Amino acid sequence: MSGHDHPHDHDHDHEDGSRFSEVELRVRALESLLVDKGLVDPTALDALIDTYETKIGPRNGARVVARAWVDPGYKRRLLEKGGAAIAELGYEGRQGEDIVVLENTPTVHNVVVCTLCSCYPWPVLGLPPVWYKAAPYRSRAVIDPRGVLREFGTELPDGVEVRVWDSTAELRYLVLPERPAGTEGMSEEELAGLVTRDSMIGVSRVAAPAVP
Amino acid sequence: MRVLTGADVEQAIRTSGGARVHVELPAKFKAGDRVVARNLHPLGHTRLPRYARGRRGVIDRDHGVFIFPDAHAAGAGQKPQHVYAVRFSLRELWGPEASERDCVLIDLWDDYLDPA
Amino acid sequence: MNGAHDLGGMHGFGPVEPERDEPVFHHEWERRAFAITLASGFLGQWNIDMSRSAREQMPAAEYLATTYYEHWLFGLERLLVEKGFVKPEEIEARVAELRRQRAGRAAES
Repeated sequence: MSGHDHPHDHDHDHEDGSRFSEVELRVRALESLLVDKGLVDPTALDALIDTYETKIGPRNGARVVARAWVDPGYKRRLLEKGGAAIAELGYEGRQGEDIVVLENTPTVHNVVVCTLCSCYPWPVLGLPPVWYKAAPYRSRAVIDPRGVLREFGTELPDGVEVRVWDSTAELRYLVLPERPAGTEGMSEEELAGLVTRDSMIGVSRVAAPAVP
Repeated sequence: MRVLTGADVEQAIRTSGGARVHVELPAKFKAGDRVVARNLHPLGHTRLPRYARGRRGVIDRDHGVFIFPDAHAAGAGQKPQHVYAVRFSLRELWGPEASERDCVLIDLWDDYLDPA
Repeated sequence: MNGAHDLGGMHGFGPVEPERDEPVFHHEWERRAFAITLASGFLGQWNIDMSRSAREQMPAAEYLATTYYEHWLFGLERLLVEKGFVKPEEIEARVAELRRQRAGRAAES
C-alpha cells in the first residue's frame, strides 16, 4: 500500500494525468453533488479542515505529558482515568471519548498500533501520520515490534518488556513517555516542547535536551 | 435529518462520538482470567483480527461496556457487552522463535472470547 | 471479513517510511475527502462501524495499491449509494462533466 507518492509540490492540482488526477475528479464530483443536494454545508467542510489542520495536534498531548511529569497528582489521575484528566486541560471529543494512558517505565515500553485501520487519539495527537495508517507499520508492529522501534532509532535492552496495544475497539491509547534525564530545572512549557508525537505513540522516546 | 453547519462544527467534534454504553451488564471475564479467542470468520465486519483467532491470552483489564461492532455494522442494534484488553505473548501469536515476554494487547469483546 | 485491511502479521510490506515534517494533508483532494466524509457522517444515517465496514469492501488488490483517503472515498461512495443519497450514474455524470471542464481549460492554456 503506497504511503506517499508525491515527493514534490503537494498542493498543485493534479492535471498532469497522474493517478491522483482521477481521484481528485471523483472527490470534487462527490463534494459538488453533496453540496447541490444540500447534504453538506460548505462552511462545515471548511471548519472541519481548519480544525484538524491547524487547531488539533500533538501539542495537546505534549501538554498533557508535561503536566503529568511535573504534577504527581495529575499523573495519578491521568493513569487512572485518562479521558477525564485529559479533559481537565480542555482536550476532548471525536476519536478520544475513551482514552487510556499507558506509562512507559524503565522496565515496560508501550507502543500503539491499529492493525485494522488507523484508530488514533485525535484530541491529543491530531490526525495520524501516513506511516501509522500504512501497511508496513500496521503489519509489523504486532509481529516485530523491536524491529519497528529500531527503524525509529529506538533500541530497547532485553530487560525491557515491550507491550504493543492494538486499538481494535473505541478505546484510544496515549503513551506517557518517560521523562528524560537532565530536565530537572525545566518549566512545564519547556518540557512540553521536548515531547514528540512519536513518543506518545511509543515508537520513540523523548530525547534529553541538547546540551548547548 | 440535520445538516452540519460551520457554526456547529466545534460542538459536534466535542460531543458527538463514543461507543461506551452506560448500562450495568455482567462481565464474562475479569482481570487475570485465561481466555481463548474464538475462531470466527464472519463475512461481515468484525474487529477480531485473524492473527488472534484461536490464540490463548489473559485478561489484562475490563474496559467496561461498549457497542458491539459486528452487530452495529450490520444494522442489528448495539448489542452492548464488555470489552477487555487481552494480553497475548508474541510467542503464543507467532511461534516458538518469538519473544515470550513481549506481548500484544488486543481489545476484544465478550462475544469474541471463551474461557481457556 | 477476512479482508486485506486485516494486516497484523503480514510480511512483505517493507520498512516503515516516516516522512519528516509531514503535513496533515498532502493534497487538496485529501482535505476534501476528509471533510465530506465527516460531514456526511454527521447526517446520522450510518454509524462508524458501518463506515469501517464499507471501506473494508474494497477489493483486496485495490486496497493494498491505494492510499488512505482513497479508501475513505470508496467507503463514502458506497454508503451514500447504499442509503440512496446519490446514484452511481449521478457521480459518473458529474465526473465526466468535471473532466470536460478540465480538458477545456487545458486546451485554452
